[in-house]
Amino acid sequence: MTRRNSGPVSRIDEQTYSLNIDAHDRVTLNSLLDQLRDVLMNDSNSDVARRLFPAAYHQDEQHEQEYQRLMRDELLSSRLASLSLTSSMLERDHSAGQANLTSDELDAFMRSINSLRLILGTLLDVDEDEFEDEIEENDPEYGQYQLYLYLGWLLDWIVRAQTEGN
Amino acid sequence: MPKHQLTKSDAQPIGVLDPSTDDAVDVDRPWIVLVWNDPINLMSYVTLVLQKLFGYSLEKATELMLDVHHKGRAVVSSGTRERSEFDVYRLHEHGLWATMQREDS
Repeated sequence: MTRRNSGPVSRIDEQTYSLNIDAHDRVTLNSLLDQLRDVLMNDSNSDVARRLFPAAYHQDEQHEQEYQRLMRDELLSSRLASLSLTSSMLERDHSAGQANLTSDELDAFMRSINSLRLILGTLLDVDEDEFEDEIEENDPEYGQYQLYLYLGWLLDWIVRAQTEGN
Repeated sequence: MPKHQLTKSDAQPIGVLDPSTDDAVDVDRPWIVLVWNDPINLMSYVTLVLQKLFGYSLEKATELMLDVHHKGRAVVSSGTRERSEFDVYRLHEHGLWATMQREDS
């Protein structure tokens, strides 16, 4: 995946942002989003998805059950809606080398990329220590680590785009 | 109009709840929302989410994010149970590890 010095996301004005991600990376991201959608729809109780559905009442089992009964499906729907909006945005015409995003689309994009990082980080059992320089190319998880780093780089640009000028 | 002398017997409360019961105490105790440290979420992302959801200044949001990072958790909001559930839900929507509990519990 491509990491450039110029940003993949930039701010045009308060409500509009520009996305500049090449076609190969957009296809890869959409494939990852499809996999995340599959996990959410068919395997949302799995260990790998647990980080996307944290407990609200960690000290009170009765309240927690009630909360999850009322809110879990809503959270699932919200995640799926963000994925759908993000996929549509990535499939939009980028023939001019970029596409414009609304602030709602950027927010959905940000939350979807973060969800992917949470899943990958859980799979890789990421801890607080830096690991970028520790992973050897022959490590079987090298590709996943590179992907995790790419998503972090992309997410950081999404954050920067929203804080520019503030 | 005759003046009524308030006697000791007049002043006895009728049917007042014992304020020492747990229910009475709980009504007055607000709920707090905590964000917990995790190794995955970016510090810049956590700061932005706190600004967006709660309207905190960059300085306040950064201070809370650093508390999360260094102390393991930070209280990011407090209020009624309903409001706290709403805050937790929005934090979960953004992938932050948030929980809620009674203050001082």
